[in-house]
Order: sequence, then structure tokens, then C-alpha cells
Amino acid sequence: MKLDPAFIWTAFVELLSAVPTTLEITAVSVLCGFLIGAGTALARLYRVPVLRQLGSAYVTFIRGTPMLVHLLLVLFGLPMLIDSLAESLGWPLRSVSIPMIGFVYVAFSLTSGAYMSEVVRAGLLAVDRGQIEAAYAVGMTTPQALRRIVFPQAFAAALPNLSNSTIGMLHGSTLAFAASVVDVNAKAQIVASTNWKFFEAYIAAAVIFWGLTIAIERLTALLEKRHHAYNRGGVA
Amino acid sequence: MIRLANIRKSFGRHEVLKGIDLTVEKGEVVVILGPSGSGKTTLLRCVNFLERPDDGEITIGDLTVHCKRPGKQDVHRLRGKTAMVFQQYNLFRHKTALENVMEGLVVVRKVPKDEARRRSVELLEKVGLGDKLDAYPSQLSGGQQQRVGIARALAASPEVILFDEPTSALDPELVGEVLAVIRKIAKEGITMIVVTHEMGFAQDVASRVVFMDQGAVVEEGNPKELFRNPKEERTRQFLQRITPEAVYTI
Repeated sequence: MKLDPAFIWTAFVELLSAVPTTLEITAVSVLCGFLIGAGTALARLYRVPVLRQLGSAYVTFIRGTPMLVHLLLVLFGLPMLIDSLAESLGWPLRSVSIPMIGFVYVAFSLTSGAYMSEVVRAGLLAVDRGQIEAAYAVGMTTPQALRRIVFPQAFAAALPNLSNSTIGMLHGSTLAFAASVVDVNAKAQIVASTNWKFFEAYIAAAVIFWGLTIAIERLTALLEKRHHAYNRGGVA
Repeated sequence: MIRLANIRKSFGRHEVLKGIDLTVEKGEVVVILGPSGSGKTTLLRCVNFLERPDDGEITIGDLTVHCKRPGKQDVHRLRGKTAMVFQQYNLFRHKTALENVMEGLVVVRKVPKDEARRRSVELLEKVGLGDKLDAYPSQLSGGQQQRVGIARALAASPEVILFDEPTSALDPELVGEVLAVIRKIAKEGITMIVVTHEMGFAQDVASRVVFMDQGAVVEEGNPKELFRNPKEERTRQFLQRITPEAVYTI
């Protein structure tokens, strides 16, 4: 068998139609994961009773199990939960009417939330205690101090980890095929199945993922430049 | 006027403040001296509730806060009446010198931005940093950072400014510029409580000196009195140990 360079291009063009799906899965899981993670991190840092233990259990379970397992658990477990809830509460909702990508969103948001909670925690821990004390001393309330002083600095400190996690979720989104959702990688498999030119199709997929990753890296560098204008320290 | 009554604070089983009473009149500059671990910094941090006292009462002007069960609003109002200058400066790292001074005015006092900027520039010029408005803290020397810290404290027009060892983290040759600024504002009649180890400064700026040891006030009085002939043995010991020049001038 010989490499067919022309088919790489053909596959590449066809795969582009799946890019929005890949980006949607990544964006939803990163954004929802960030919110879940922020909540979990705050509950653990501020030692909120009950929520803190729940948060710790959640983080250790999710990080202790593969992303594919989360998807499968949600895929098979959530419909049962929804249907039994709907039945007992008399809602007209049936789990079959929910598109598969909905389950993917839920599963991957849960996955990313656990990792994000560590990203957020690291960011918050990087902010010196004196910063919030100074904010209090000038008369700010806790929400004002967090919003204006702590979060911007925590965000800057968390950026490298944040981009790492985002790239991880981008690549992890390929697992969505297990729920019959067609992302870039799945599309490559489909495109190649007509003529068995899998290698060419996967090369095209790799190029697309690489390109998307470079875009994320560029975006991070841009944000980092803006947020680190004040930071001339560090060992680097 | 500021009145602290029976301020108590323990960290675990260690009693750091054993019922401190202190009154500071408007315009007074009170310097608190004492060996490390005597509780002077903790006392200062209790005044604006960065440290929550276990017991006692804090009165500033018309506001009295009962420390045992302080209301959130009361703590917030108390902080609105005070300002603090920190040992480690604690400037907002992601904000320029100008933004550091403006921040409290705009966010807390809701002063319009133009007005806040005008006042902040004035204050930074006053502390000799009119040319560093747009510098981030990381681009300033320790002495410059602390002067921004003082400008930030002044911006709030507080009833009292709390200085927590404002020169302890500075290179010796930068101490002078910061003390000069504090002297200047002391002359303007701003009420100040200063924790410091700078004896010379204490002698010529303080209207009153308070000597603390082991969580209690040992002695207080006007600086000439206290430095020349302290009444208490403990004060004498302390002053001898930290002003040893006498030993060398024989």
C-alpha cells in the first residue's frame, strides 16, 4: 500500500465539517468545568462543611478514573436517573429525547471540573495573603476584594495550567465517539472507512488538532502577556 | 478619638494580648515599642480587625465595636475609618502606583474616576513619586513601594493611619526617605499609631510612646520622659539593649 497525499487533502476538507463539534465539546466542558472547579476549590479552601468533603471525594474519584469511564457511566446511568425522576414527578420528559451530545457535555464537564478545581486552587494559593489584607484595610468587602484583587492575580497565576487543561479537554473530546457523537477524529474514521485510507485520514485529523492546539497556545500567550505586564519576577 | 478597651486576643492557648487599654487623641502620634512577641503588631491589626480580638471594645469617633460579637457592617465601617501601612508594603501587584492609590477611592468610596485620579496624583506627588504614576510595584524599590503604600493610606482620609513596622523590610539606606514622608504627614496633624523599632524616629515624632511587653502595656508617656528615665525596670532593660550607643561613646 502506498501513501495517497491527495487523499490527505480530501480528508482534511471533509474533517473541517466536524471541527465545530470538537470545539463545542471543548468549550462547554472547559467553561462548565471551570465553574464546577471554582466552586469546589472555594469550598475546599474556605473549609465549607459538607461541601468540602463532597468536593474532595468528587476530585479524587474523577481524577482516579479515566475520562472514557466517566462518559460511559453518564451515558448509561444518567438516562436511568432522568427517567425514574421524570416518572415519579410526572414530567413528560424521556431520556431518549435528549441528544447524545448532551450526555457528552455532562460527562466531560464533570471530568474537567475535577482538574479545574486544582487549577483554580493553585491559582488562589499563589496570591499572597497580604493582598487580601490590604484590600480589607482599604475598606473593601470580601466580594470586592476577591473580584478586584484576588481573582485577577489568581487567573494570571493559573493561566499555564488552564491552557494545559484546555488542551487536555480538546484532545479528550475525541472520546465522544463512544457516544456516537462525530468529532474530528470520528469523522476521520468515517471518511476512511469507504476506501480504507485510514493513515491519510488520521494525518489530516492530527494536523487539525495540532492547529487547534497552536491556536490555544497563542491565545494563552496573548492573555499571559496582558496579565503579566506587572510581573517582572519569577525565576524565568 | 480612638479608644481601645480591654482588648484580648489568644492564638490557641497562647495569650498574646492580655486586656489592653489605650486612648489616642485626635492628631496624636502614638508609637508602640516593645520586644518581638510583645503583641504590638497584633494589637495594631486588631484595630482594623485584620485580627479579630476575642474580647474588648474598639471606639473610633462615633463608632463602637464590641469585639466579642462584631457585626459585619461594624467591621466594615471600622475599616472605612482606618488605613494601614504594612511591613511588606502589600501593594496590589497587578495595579500601577496610581491605580493602587485610586482603588480604594473608586471602589470603596465611590469617588468619580476623574476626581479620584486627580487626588491620587496629588498624593503621589506629595510622597515624591509624581514621576512613577504608571510603574507597577515590581518596578519600584522598597522605599518607593512603601511611599505608595503611604499615599494609598492617605487617600482614604482615615481618622487614623496604622503603621505596622513600615521600615523593617527596607534596606538601611532606604529607611530615611520613608521616615521623612511619615514625619511630613505627622506634622499635618493626622492621627497615627506606629509600631516601629526606629528609636530616633520615635523620639522626635511621637507625641506619646507606649511600651509593651508580653501582651500588656508596661509603661507609657511622652518620649523624652520615657527614653531618659523610664519608670519600669523592664522598659529600662529594653531601651538599654536596643540603644547601645552609650556603650561605645565612653
